[in-house]
Amino acid sequence: MSVPARVMNDLFTQKLGTAEGKEKIAEYGGTYVRDRLREVSYCRKILPPQQVTRADCQRSVNHDTLVKIIDIEPYSRALVVTFRGQPTANFIRAPRVEAAFFTISSQMFQKTEQELLAYEMPITKVIEDNSVKDIQEIEDREFTVNIEASVQALQQQANGGTVTTLDAASIQAGTVVEFAVRKGELARASTATASSTVFPIQRPDLVNLFKLLDGNRLRSERILMTEVDWDDLLQWTVEDFGDRLQSETAVDGFKYNTLLGRAYVRTVKTDILRAGNVYTFTRPEFLGKFYVLNNSKFYIDKIANMITFQAWEDVSICLANIASVRKLELYSGDASSNNTDGILANVTPVAEEALGAVNNQADANLFFPTVTQY
Amino acid sequence: MSTVQRVNFTPVSDVLGLNRRDFPLADPTLANPTNAAALVDGEWMSINTSYQLQRAVAIGAAGNHATVRSFPLWAEKGRYDVQANSARKTVVIWLGESEWDTRIFDATAVVNSGAAITTVMQPLKVGSVSLGGVIYSGLVGSAGAADNDPIVGYVTRLPANNGGKLRFRTGYRS
Repeated sequence: MSVPARVMNDLFTQKLGTAEGKEKIAEYGGTYVRDRLREVSYCRKILPPQQVTRADCQRSVNHDTLVKIIDIEPYSRALVVTFRGQPTANFIRAPRVEAAFFTISSQMFQKTEQELLAYEMPITKVIEDNSVKDIQEIEDREFTVNIEASVQALQQQANGGTVTTLDAASIQAGTVVEFAVRKGELARASTATASSTVFPIQRPDLVNLFKLLDGNRLRSERILMTEVDWDDLLQWTVEDFGDRLQSETAVDGFKYNTLLGRAYVRTVKTDILRAGNVYTFTRPEFLGKFYVLNNSKFYIDKIANMITFQAWEDVSICLANIASVRKLELYSGDASSNNTDGILANVTPVAEEALGAVNNQADANLFFPTVTQY
Repeated sequence: MSTVQRVNFTPVSDVLGLNRRDFPLADPTLANPTNAAALVDGEWMSINTSYQLQRAVAIGAAGNHATVRSFPLWAEKGRYDVQANSARKTVVIWLGESEWDTRIFDATAVVNSGAAITTVMQPLKVGSVSLGGVIYSGLVGSAGAADNDPIVGYVTRLPANNGGKLRFRTGYRS
């Protein structure tokens, strides 16, 4: 439900002193949080959330937290037998994983009623920009950390159980297997010092990325990339796009919903998904589950003149089948935990506390023309 | 000797006014309950230069003493919400005074100029204690003015009168 800014402002300034007012604000705020999360989290576009309740979950006997147990498809096959023969037995068993819940919360925002008067910006804007956006960013960050862990685990398995450096030099020396992570065409050919400098994405890069998944009885269905890497795609030539598309792209950009037959998700959150990292995924049913336990909650209170509000949700993001994700790296340096080239901090999500760095520098008086009132 | 159970650290006073802060674990493997060195509730943690939690005292042997301020862990061993978040964030009582019952203590240990826990309002400090063959970062008695280790609380009820648990109130003093 969308709530006009004036309604929220009125509720904050006039109704917050009453129990009825608090209830009403919490109701509006809670609804608003849920709507915006679905809209903007890239994690939710790749792994759509499902609502679950307490009844769907299992408790622990050791502590008071919850998991939801997920069944994974059992193994089965068929075989040729003779008229007198019989098939081999399969004592049925299916793997299961636990999807554990944790909380993602906004900060607890506090402000005095009097100081709120100094803002012309509607308080709903604060809720939207701070609470909702912060929560969705952390969802995406958790998701990104998990998909990166998945591809690195697959890489380690494919390289004999050892974390193996994957950079231009190791590819050229033939000392690493690119099973779940592949370097781009320009990155792998680089003879310069390995770095986190991102090379423009090439059409063969995407095709080779798809083949990492498509060769394992899975199919890549979605691509996740940053806007920065997407911009490089607009540099593709007529040989990549063809005559008609090249003309269209020169005017309107790339306007289609699929790229090389795959849906794509673009993000501007380059502090979470760092430029030069492109992932491909199967359909969600092969990948895992994203559960939301109950509904998002919104708390607001006013004690004397101090207004306090906070939003949170209880979620579980579980990649049950790690084989359903593959990665393309468009830089020449090593992004494994070996960190051979010392670039890991440049290609992995920034620390939680460093997220959402402010771009404007108005507090440092950096705005132009600078005017001093007197 | 205290016995470690499923729940070892419970509040006696209101927790609403406390600042309960989650920090990432410097060693994420300590969130895994199958790790022999897994953290249990009631252990005392300090923060490192990366703003991450680590045990306040080395647990290689019993009898080590903490030299920095530390904070009690309020998360039972193997909690799912700790294991599920990517940084293995776990919660400590970061700010505010409160009263707790703990099983992670050794009343008889005398650690680095300390004293056995014998009296109400005796100051407490943090040391490595052996409980059931496993070493934890727990509470031991301080000798007060003669003891230079940081004080983290004061005894309010002795284990003998509290079902084997040590009741204490927090309160820091260097």
